[in-house]
Amino acid sequence: MASGPEPATAASGQGVQRGQFRSATLHVVGIAVAAVSLGMLACALLEAVTSRRDTTALVVSALVAGAAGGLLWYFSQPGEIRTRQIFATVAWTWILTTAVGALPFILAGTFAAGGVDFVEQVVNSVFESASGFSASGSTVLADFETPGRGLMMYRQLTHWYGGMGVVVLAVAVLPFLGVGGLELISAEAPGTTSDRLTPRVSETARHLWLVYIGFTACAAVAFFAADGFSSLYDAVAHAFTVAATGGFSVHADSIGHYDSVAVETVAIVCMILGATSFSLHWRAVTTRRLPYYRDSEFRSYLLLLGLAATVIVILVWLDNGLPLGSSIRAAVFTVVSLGTSTGLSNATGPGSPGDYVTWVAGAQLVLLVLMVVGGCAGSTSGGIKVMRMRVLGLSMLRTVRHAQTPRAVIPIRLGRDTVNETVVSRVAGFFLLHFLLVMSGVLVVTALEGDFVSALGAVLSALGNMGPALNEAGPTSNYAVAFSQPARLVLALLMVIGRLEIFPILLTAMGVGVSWYRAAARHGRFSVRMLARRLEAIAESRSTDV
Amino acid sequence: MTPLRGDGFLPGLRSRLGSGRPAVGLRRFGGLRRSRPLLAGPTEQAPKRIVSWGLASIVDAGLILGVVTMLCGLAGIGDDSVDAAVFSCVGAAGAALAAVAQRRVAPPERPGAGRVFAGIGLLWTALVLFGAVLYAGTGALARFDDALVESAAGFTTTAVTLLDVGEVSRTVLLFRSATSWVGGLMALLIGVVTLPVVLRSTALIGYTTGRRGLDLVPSAEVGTRRVLILYSGFTAACVVAYLACGLGVTDALVVGLGSASTGGFTGRVDSLAGFGSAVHAVAGVGMFLAGAGIFVVWWVVRGRVRPLWRSQELRTFLLLIAVATVAVGVHRDIGWGEAGFMAVSMMSTTGFAVADWTGWGPSATVVMLVAAGIGSMMGSPGGGMRVMRARLLMGSAGGELRRQLDPYALVLVRRDGETLSRRTLDRLGGHQIAYVVLVGVGALLLGISGVSMLGSVWGSVSAVSTVGPAMGEIGAFGQLGDLGRPARLALVPLMMGGRMSIPPLLAGVGLLLRTYQAAERRARYRMSRRSVSEESGNGDG
Repeated sequence: MASGPEPATAASGQGVQRGQFRSATLHVVGIAVAAVSLGMLACALLEAVTSRRDTTALVVSALVAGAAGGLLWYFSQPGEIRTRQIFATVAWTWILTTAVGALPFILAGTFAAGGVDFVEQVVNSVFESASGFSASGSTVLADFETPGRGLMMYRQLTHWYGGMGVVVLAVAVLPFLGVGGLELISAEAPGTTSDRLTPRVSETARHLWLVYIGFTACAAVAFFAADGFSSLYDAVAHAFTVAATGGFSVHADSIGHYDSVAVETVAIVCMILGATSFSLHWRAVTTRRLPYYRDSEFRSYLLLLGLAATVIVILVWLDNGLPLGSSIRAAVFTVVSLGTSTGLSNATGPGSPGDYVTWVAGAQLVLLVLMVVGGCAGSTSGGIKVMRMRVLGLSMLRTVRHAQTPRAVIPIRLGRDTVNETVVSRVAGFFLLHFLLVMSGVLVVTALEGDFVSALGAVLSALGNMGPALNEAGPTSNYAVAFSQPARLVLALLMVIGRLEIFPILLTAMGVGVSWYRAAARHGRFSVRMLARRLEAIAESRSTDV
Repeated sequence: MTPLRGDGFLPGLRSRLGSGRPAVGLRRFGGLRRSRPLLAGPTEQAPKRIVSWGLASIVDAGLILGVVTMLCGLAGIGDDSVDAAVFSCVGAAGAALAAVAQRRVAPPERPGAGRVFAGIGLLWTALVLFGAVLYAGTGALARFDDALVESAAGFTTTAVTLLDVGEVSRTVLLFRSATSWVGGLMALLIGVVTLPVVLRSTALIGYTTGRRGLDLVPSAEVGTRRVLILYSGFTAACVVAYLACGLGVTDALVVGLGSASTGGFTGRVDSLAGFGSAVHAVAGVGMFLAGAGIFVVWWVVRGRVRPLWRSQELRTFLLLIAVATVAVGVHRDIGWGEAGFMAVSMMSTTGFAVADWTGWGPSATVVMLVAAGIGSMMGSPGGGMRVMRARLLMGSAGGELRRQLDPYALVLVRRDGETLSRRTLDRLGGHQIAYVVLVGVGALLLGISGVSMLGSVWGSVSAVSTVGPAMGEIGAFGQLGDLGRPARLALVPLMMGGRMSIPPLLAGVGLLLRTYQAAERRARYRMSRRSVSEESGNGDG
């Protein structure tokens, strides 16, 4: 690992002792994995009292994860955190949590149907886990009936863990992690900055989780009532999804399963609240006033969703020939679902009004734009974020004005606040990296299999933690049909990169790559000349084939 | 650099064809030499001058376009006499009108950047309208909107067409290629001479050529002359090379003009697919040099190796072409020659095709999409984001990664040894955002017009980069016949936005915003006046 655990005490010959390794990375990873194991255990209990099919898989997974997390936590102690370690900590926590989170699916054989080989099962499990923890909602699950209720609830729970962030959870239970704690949250949290709600960082993390839990509970009650008090299991499962703006459902046809305006309305409201800054929710709870409309980002966000919905209603109504009522219902739900990076669908089947891959290209392009934009900063949603898009838009307008008056000093203002030039520069850099990642992602995915439109949709969807994409990866299909194994792995990686907003994974990968290269070069196992020789050999073999 | 403030973009031409009047007007040009007028008037009285940068540029461009149109008409004699007569007469009349107008219209002494950019927008609009009127007037295209699309494609050097090349006369065929040649020349003069001289700073980097511009353009007059000679010479060399390869005179002229200007028009429906490998080789070299830009041609002509070797942009351009060739060529069903040709065609944004590449598979076509998006080098008549900008943005992105680790890190981004300020990089970022927004809006417009998803995204990137051919409805040979009328019209602003390289478009938006703000202020003032008068009226009552 990049942070490099260091022995805290010189204890040669005495075996490994508690807190032997001074490494914040190991400590935070340990706590995060242990927390996930608790979730597995809870779902094992649910499985035990319902279908009992996948109880063993969940219990074994919980034990393995709990033991691994506990050991890491026990033998490490958090030392001083440097900037590079912050990114490494967040990146490794997410990578290892995703890996451990795939265990229940592998052990239960969730993807074993149809004689699928073990490698493919592992790939699918990792994909599902990455999609869950990153709150994306892309799925390779085709059979929703076979897995038990506990396992399906665990699948929903991965969203819930990932929505607020496993690192935030770890920080919440680390009272001694004062220094660097906020940076850890910032590195994981979506948006330009993370607000400090209280003077103590761990208290801030706890408050965020409290708001999150309260919001999830309210959503569960609302779903339960909207569905006519028929299934608490469904209500809780979907509450996990909307709170985390994830996208998994316990039904193959997602929210379309209910075909109910009431359920869809509850989902729309909850998805919008999930994509709103949790600092605003905290302010609403503590001040007992509604601060939403005063927030310029929230106003812009609602305006964007309204505009997109209007355009799509008109396009779908005119071009697809749907009745106006169906057009409004399908368009508004889909716009909110994709605009909040949730990815739930109200399509009742292929070709139904909610199946947006059948809509006219213009409507699908509007949805792609929403996928790129995402929700508000400081929320559980993905995408570039409304705040950043506003800064980018104002930056572009400034370029317009500079084209007329090149020497003018023009500050960028959001509401009454002037945005720091460093933030403007960072936002532009983030956008550029996002753009480069999209291009590289599309190149790689098309090279590994997949047509251009599917690849573009899937890459934008993965980086924006959206879930469903276009063509065969649309709301009524799944990624196993649309993409090859390696392409699915690339998309899983992109989901995690998108969830962590690019920098942690990229910087950690660069750090690891540089250290490996240096180590290999030191031992004479790798050099640029060797790489050139290898490329020559490949070229020669190709010409021989021809 | 000679301080030539307030020049039009053809001061060299102006000086040669100038009014011949004494110093009054010429002094404002910062020392242009006096010379005999082209059309000496009967009196020596100083006529009243209209001072406008945009109009002066239109007049200058109109002179060249008039002459070129006349030559196309003359070349068509013996094929379709009506077309030949119309084009000859219109061209001659246009040139004469422009020459007369040159005496009455002058650019301002110190044009602001906003006026220059707005003037550039006006210039392109005027050129496109002129071409559209000719196409529609001669009946080459029955509808004016189709003529508008064809004309815009020509002047913006985008290789898409609505003409049935088998049916139209030689004059029309040559005029179509000539429009792309004139468009390429205008793009070069604006990019290499006007903007660096008028804007005079690297504050608007990305729109200017930086220090290396001083080598070719020590002053506006010399720069214009050199660009004209180099561009014309390069075109002539291309035409001679095509003739040597066995092409007929008309084909050689059409393809030669298309190569030098990165226009991409040919006299056949299947672009260059029907020609031999010698023609492909000449086209490849021609496209490469055209995409590499006028500076590289200048260095090659002067035999200067060091600037060639030291140019970061040229190295990157070569590297990108090599990478694109390899990325496409590794596919077993694609030959290396075809891969290399299409990589150069896309990078230079010419749009020639030697095969129906749309069937090459997603990964190969995505490589070409990226190549088209990046585009050619600065100082070339090609389009796209430009290699230099892409390179600087990559440097900027690397700097951003470093700043994540150390917020106080001093990250320097250099261009040919010149360190760029943070403000400059921010503006470059703004330009990139505008480019992406333009592509996105274009894709939306095409999508709403009924084009498929694939066709919308590809069509938008291709039009904004002034390439032309695209996956989907447009196809490998840039035939717009399958595209609906609204979609065709949607391509016009995209091609023009891409050709003008964003800033004039932005300046146009800025101008609209300012006009709106002024109108709003006036309305508010009127309201307040009215309320004051009502109050005073009430008081009186």
